[in-house]
Amino acid sequence: MKGIGKRVTIGFLSIVVLLLVSGVISIVELSNLSYDTKVILDAGGEDITMAKGLLQSSHDHSRAVLDLVIFEDSTSLAKRDKAIADIAEQIHLLKGEETNTTLRGCIDTLSDCAAKLERVTKNYELQKQKHAALTGRVWYSKIYEPAYNDLTEQIKHYMKLSHGELAPRAEQLSRNAYRAITPVMISLLVMIAVVLMLYYFVYIYSVKPILKINKALSDYLTFKLPFTVKAQLIDQLKELHDNIDALITSSKSNK
Amino acid sequence: MRFSVIMRYVGTVMLIIAAFMAISAFISLMSHDSGFYPLLLSSLLTFVLGGFPLLFVPKADNITNKEGFTIVVGSWILACAVGMFPYLIWGGEFTLINAWFESVSGFTTTGASILKNIEMLPQGLLFWRSATCWIGGAGVVMFALLILPSLGTNKMALSSIELSSLAKDNYRYRTQMVVRILLVVYVGLTLITTLSLKMAGMRWFDAINHAMSACATGGFSTKNASIGAFNSPLIEAILIVAMFLSSIHFGLIYSTFARKANNIFRSEVVRTYVWIILFASVTIAISLYFAGIYTDWLHSFRESIFQVVSIITTTGYATANTNTWTPFAIVTIIILSIICGCAGSTAGGVKVDRILLYAKALIAKLRTQQHPNAIVRVRLDGVIQENRHLEAVTLFITTYFVLILMGTLTSTLFGMDLLSAFSSSVTFIGNVGPGFGEVGSYDNYADIPIILKIQGSILMLMGRLEIFGFIQFISIKAWR
Repeated sequence: MKGIGKRVTIGFLSIVVLLLVSGVISIVELSNLSYDTKVILDAGGEDITMAKGLLQSSHDHSRAVLDLVIFEDSTSLAKRDKAIADIAEQIHLLKGEETNTTLRGCIDTLSDCAAKLERVTKNYELQKQKHAALTGRVWYSKIYEPAYNDLTEQIKHYMKLSHGELAPRAEQLSRNAYRAITPVMISLLVMIAVVLMLYYFVYIYSVKPILKINKALSDYLTFKLPFTVKAQLIDQLKELHDNIDALITSSKSNK
Repeated sequence: MRFSVIMRYVGTVMLIIAAFMAISAFISLMSHDSGFYPLLLSSLLTFVLGGFPLLFVPKADNITNKEGFTIVVGSWILACAVGMFPYLIWGGEFTLINAWFESVSGFTTTGASILKNIEMLPQGLLFWRSATCWIGGAGVVMFALLILPSLGTNKMALSSIELSSLAKDNYRYRTQMVVRILLVVYVGLTLITTLSLKMAGMRWFDAINHAMSACATGGFSTKNASIGAFNSPLIEAILIVAMFLSSIHFGLIYSTFARKANNIFRSEVVRTYVWIILFASVTIAISLYFAGIYTDWLHSFRESIFQVVSIITTTGYATANTNTWTPFAIVTIIILSIICGCAGSTAGGVKVDRILLYAKALIAKLRTQQHPNAIVRVRLDGVIQENRHLEAVTLFITTYFVLILMGTLTSTLFGMDLLSAFSSSVTFIGNVGPGFGEVGSYDNYADIPIILKIQGSILMLMGRLEIFGFIQFISIKAWR
């Protein structure tokens, strides 16, 4: 393949390559964006699950303590211990995963609150032995409930803080989205420019000369006007023009 | 006008830009930074964009003035457009307008930046910033001229835009010679400056970047504190020489090295230029010393001469916060930002040649009034100047000031204070870089309104294309 055919082929191949590049860029950038989004959503989801678990364990603990001290249901003792152990384990997990210093501080306070709740619960039996008049209801409302409220408030505070920490990540996500779309947009703009150029060049160097040659040949055959083509001729179209010219000259000389 | 031919030569310029992007990408690859992918992708896209017309359009034997003109201005605007690709793809502080501003600032060798933290940029992008200055300094189209087959016969068709008419007259060479002069002087000066800066203690990377930027009189630095970050009198001295030489007519530098009669030492324009620099440096140094800004004479003179040379050559490097200087120093520096370097160099602004010619024309006018029958001729470097040249100079200076005033008016309309508005307009159109107030030598253009960034980029382009080049491009269809 040579001449105009070669040029047009390379032109179309360039567009194909550019399309491919744009597609690859789109896929890469969108997968990056998708991964970033997943990381952020996962982080948010984990925080919510953890906080939910903590609240549930606190609630279980409160329920078990209530059954134990007011209804004197001794079977709740195991439930109470299990609930406080769950709280401690979840806090330990949070400590291990959290890298943010603000959130780590919040988890430390949460740990202190859980420890206080455990201490208060253990002290109940000791205090009951010391003060026979101490009723379970009074102990629950005066001593246990404030410690329980402290813990749940701290869990809520942690939830708020961890959600607050998501805001800069979300902002980063919006920046990443902008970054992801920019190369694709630029590639598409370049491709549009290339397609327009290809159309222009094909029109100027192929379509227009063919039309002009055809018109000139028709004029020659109909009116015997001189065969002159007013167009930029390159490659095979120039050859075609020269060949027609030669054919006309030869037919004139044969006459 | 043959658009296909224009596209071919503009495409060639794009290919050169793509090559520089590829070099920047390679630097990023070597330094394992985040600039590799944006630079490589930009290089590929620019290559496709530039290479496409070359595939179809055959070489043209001759190009007309109108075509040459369109190639020059079109190349400049397209270079600015593709030059922002790496910034846009990389992201960071670069929004669409910021990337456009930074790109225009680079290619017009203005050196004004929207970056608050330059040192955050990957090395490849830092190199690309300096490269835009360097390409712009040489004149994007000068590169295109190198591949023009009809170099000798095209005369000054292409080069008449970025070289002012005065510089063109001074050359007295054919285009092929102009290209040779540009290459020898520009590349040579860049290499010598790089080596000198390295020997003075800069890292290779910083030395290359600052040499490219200084020889283009651009002013992009790799440091937030510009040249002040190095705190080295030797580095400052080397840069003073580099900036000064880059702001002198390249033909004269070439002639001086070639030991021709028409050299730097005999040039009236250069003599005036040197006197302006010395006078401004000394008076500013005195003013700073007596105001107590610097406690010793030597330090005062060191800061003064660096800042004066940096501003008058339109480079815009900084070693001191000029916002804290005396009102006298500030006014003097603003005046220098208007005068700027010599024609036929990489400097922007009104240029000493025009100022000198204007002053001589004024004196001649006074003499004619005193002696109505006398024939008073205006000479510049011994050459009698025609009336059309004098008229062109007057028209240019008038338009220059009108544009500064319009720029100031718009800037104040959008909330800028008067000093910042006026100085930024002056530095934009003069392709200087730093101004005063909000846009001082240690500040940036990050926080100015978007509309003023657009206005700034238009003024930079107008300044680089000698005002009328830009205006004529807009009305090119009306040409005959």
